[in-house]
Amino acid sequence: MSRIDWSGLKKYAVVFVLLVLMGLFSLASPYFLTVRNLTNIVTQNTYFIIVAVGLSFVMIGGGIDLSVGYQMSLVGVITAMAMVVYHLPVWLAVVIGLALGTTLGLVNGLIVTSIRIFPLIATLATSTVFQGISYIVSRANTFRAYPDQFLWLTKGRLLGVPVDVLLALIIVILVTILYYETVFGFRLITLGGNEEAARLSGINTRRMKIAMYTICGFFTAIATMVMISKANTTNPSFGPGTEFIALTAAIVGGVSFMGGEGNIPSLVAGVFLLAVLGNGMQLAGWGTYAQFIVRGLILLGAVAFDEYQRNVARTMQKTG
Amino acid sequence: MSTEYIVEMKGINKSFGGVRALRDVDLELRRGEIMGIVGDNGAGKSTLMKILSGAHLADSGEIYLDGCQVHIRNPHDSARLGISMIYQDLALFNNLDVTRNVFAGRELARGPFGWFVDKKRMSKRAEELIRDLRVDIKSPSMNVARMSGGQRQMVACARAIAFQSKVLIMDEPTAALGVTEASKLLGLIRNLKEMGLSILLITQRIPDVLAIADRVFVLKGGQRQDVLDVSQVTLDDVVTMIVKGKERNGGQVSEVAYKSFG
Repeated sequence: MSRIDWSGLKKYAVVFVLLVLMGLFSLASPYFLTVRNLTNIVTQNTYFIIVAVGLSFVMIGGGIDLSVGYQMSLVGVITAMAMVVYHLPVWLAVVIGLALGTTLGLVNGLIVTSIRIFPLIATLATSTVFQGISYIVSRANTFRAYPDQFLWLTKGRLLGVPVDVLLALIIVILVTILYYETVFGFRLITLGGNEEAARLSGINTRRMKIAMYTICGFFTAIATMVMISKANTTNPSFGPGTEFIALTAAIVGGVSFMGGEGNIPSLVAGVFLLAVLGNGMQLAGWGTYAQFIVRGLILLGAVAFDEYQRNVARTMQKTG
Repeated sequence: MSTEYIVEMKGINKSFGGVRALRDVDLELRRGEIMGIVGDNGAGKSTLMKILSGAHLADSGEIYLDGCQVHIRNPHDSARLGISMIYQDLALFNNLDVTRNVFAGRELARGPFGWFVDKKRMSKRAEELIRDLRVDIKSPSMNVARMSGGQRQMVACARAIAFQSKVLIMDEPTAALGVTEASKLLGLIRNLKEMGLSILLITQRIPDVLAIADRVFVLKGGQRQDVLDVSQVTLDDVVTMIVKGKERNGGQVSEVAYKSFG
């Protein structure tokens, strides 16, 4: 009778935990709750937000993409080489990078839908392939010192706001609208909820799946631009690891590992939760490396919570 | 063109690997009738209906709708032709509310290129449907994961009605329901008939068929046995037909099919 309804809680849980964490760290360190530090947290995480938004397409659609890290590695070195080795104009280098990222996503989508294997394994495999290509093409070199036009992406300001922050904000708003208001967004959530039912409803599930991996690749490429512009350097080891943070942030932010659920504002809160955790632990002197342990535990906890929630829903359906 | 039959299936054959699930099955569904499809496990009931709904492709055979031959290659084709199937395992989306379940895959669109969904119109329409069907669902924004089996069946029906389906195929709709819910659902199926739909009702519960169907189509071992007029038969007649088939049929072939599907 008086079963607790967790679904409302889940929606805001991440924001709540984020606030608690911020409170905790502001007590632990006087430097945490300063404008400068908070600004840092935001600007250091714009590309994580963009990757997580890209990944949300795949996850909400019921898939997973573990290869985004090495997509970034490959897109990063190719874009950087286009600028500093081949001296192509910045706009062309960016177009090449975005086209490449989109293609990598498309490849993932085609593989997942053609071979019909678990996307977890498929993208783990492509991830290694992308890694290999990235190292071969770059010969493991580092490419630095990009043209000012390219650095404008992270150093420049529009309306007083850093360009990359503005970019992330626009992406967040547009994608939120996409999920809430468009036929594509509706169908993606439908697909993630029950793939077989979606097919029987006459939705072209194969095309939808290819689209979601392709979109993920596109956003990952945008994020790569921000990442290498901010660092003003890159090599093949730039990018890997991002997939874990984006994945954790997405799940912490209420995107279900099983698909069909998720919203972008919570996802962004998820990214900041991880960011605040890393930053706060460092400031509080709890060690940089301990955050890896905590991140792993958070991922486990979030998945367990998601699973628990599903069980509750299932039981309610049976007894309801 | 108006013929007596809204759906005609002629000479339908279907094999899965080496097993013949259907052999030369003919079926005629009259306009506005409820026809029960009965048979033992593995008799081919669901297979035959899935061919009509486009979930399976027949190896050979023809399908006519309103006297015109149609080609149904996938669920999208059948939906376009006005044929809806409500599956046994209920192809619903547990993560979504009633409205979004009703309109999944066929969202009402607005705006440039029809890219945007018309949420207001969809929830209004869903509310009308719930009212017209006289079902006990409180709100179209209710999540279907929290609903009872009967309510879920009703959502599935609403889905079929929303798209002006002419033919509705229901696969064991009462199988998982309690007595009260089952009788409510049978009432709803009658309403649907009154609304002008032609209904194919797959079921194991023969009393259900006798209660609401006009005719009953009996399959055994993938072969059509007979079509009985419900007003002319008893429960025993139907059960005998299901178990023994018509005298000329029966035999070993059916046994093989039975074992492979049972």
